[in-house]
Amino acid sequence: MRYNEKELQALSRQPAEMAAELGMRGPKKGSVLKRRLVKLVVNFLFYFRTDEAEPVGALLLERCRVTREEPGTFSISFVEDPERKYHFECSSEEQCQEWMEALRRASYEFMRRSLIFYRNEIQKVTGKDPLEQFGISEEARFQLSGLQA
Amino acid sequence: MKLNERSVAHYALSDSPADHMGFLRTWGSPGTPPTPSGTGRRYWFVLKGNLLFSFESRKGRVPLSLVVLEGCTVELAEAPVPEEFAFAICFDAPGVHPHLLAAEGPAAQEAWVKALSRASFGYMRLVVRELESQLQDARQSLALQHHSSWKPTASCCKPQARNNRSVVLENGHPLSKDCSPVGLVEEAGSRCAGLGLAERELQGPASLLLGRGQSPVSPETSNFSTLHDWYGQEIMKLQQHWQQRAQGRQPECEEQDKP
Repeated sequence: MRYNEKELQALSRQPAEMAAELGMRGPKKGSVLKRRLVKLVVNFLFYFRTDEAEPVGALLLERCRVTREEPGTFSISFVEDPERKYHFECSSEEQCQEWMEALRRASYEFMRRSLIFYRNEIQKVTGKDPLEQFGISEEARFQLSGLQA
Repeated sequence: MKLNERSVAHYALSDSPADHMGFLRTWGSPGTPPTPSGTGRRYWFVLKGNLLFSFESRKGRVPLSLVVLEGCTVELAEAPVPEEFAFAICFDAPGVHPHLLAAEGPAAQEAWVKALSRASFGYMRLVVRELESQLQDARQSLALQHHSSWKPTASCCKPQARNNRSVVLENGHPLSKDCSPVGLVEEAGSRCAGLGLAERELQGPASLLLGRGQSPVSPETSNFSTLHDWYGQEIMKLQQHWQQRAQGRQPECEEQDKP
């Protein structure tokens, strides 16, 4: 799959929702914990060496699972291979909670679900489709039928 | 730079809904040799969230390319072949070339430009945030309505429920947990219509999903209607341009700024 690294690098420089130095261990066997600057930008999690401007890598946070591991640590895995886990070590339990919360909300599919939920609820209360006022009520991504059970 | 490509490809093929799809022609993305006739290459494109994928064909199972639609603009463009309905995805980053694409007709072109220019995560976040506050307003005015028309004789609910509900109104925090248990129990027991509605409505999946009073939207995002107007203007301009082009079919298409 072709993609332009420069486009992703530009995205990694956008304002971050969350950014911190965390311990990070990749999914490969024998990987060791390394200090990384971890940055959440929209639905991508970028990680940098602490002395470099360009990211080492990025994780697209769609269809991922955020799991609490030992105290102060969590992992990210993806549905197609849940055994492959990226581990993160935080400096406190509080920081860990904060990151897990932010990561769980950082997917386009989560946004889509929230949007459809709010749209339905507003329709139930007011009898009107709130998206009509913006002329976007027909868009495929806002349709209930698109939602997985 | 590494990317979790397997997961990205998996997302491209997953059963979550595609936001737009169709055939487009493309020129000169890095790695593709130019076609001798200059007509570009035809691929199947799928827009999913803020990601644009291309496939060899409609049934392709391996995404060939990925463009992340963040920090970019979508503009009308001149294609190497005049009869194509071209547009470009442009990034404001050094050394990044625009992605030149062309649809098969004006309607498809318009639909693609619309879909791509609204595909960013930020746009989605603003819509969600706007609806979230509209829902809060709607529930509050509904609750007030019920509250003012409430008469003890017309209802089978115990006064307790009513007290409980004024707490909801006073603290103005409809997603808070404190307001639900009594109201819900009352309602389940007595099946009284109306009064318990607001409480019941509070128990939607998103309020559980989002936790207490939490929004999926970050606080720094700006006002949705402003942004929507802004996008709207851009699209109006495009439409004008298309109409002119359809009427005149002029060889040069630089007319869009004239009145």
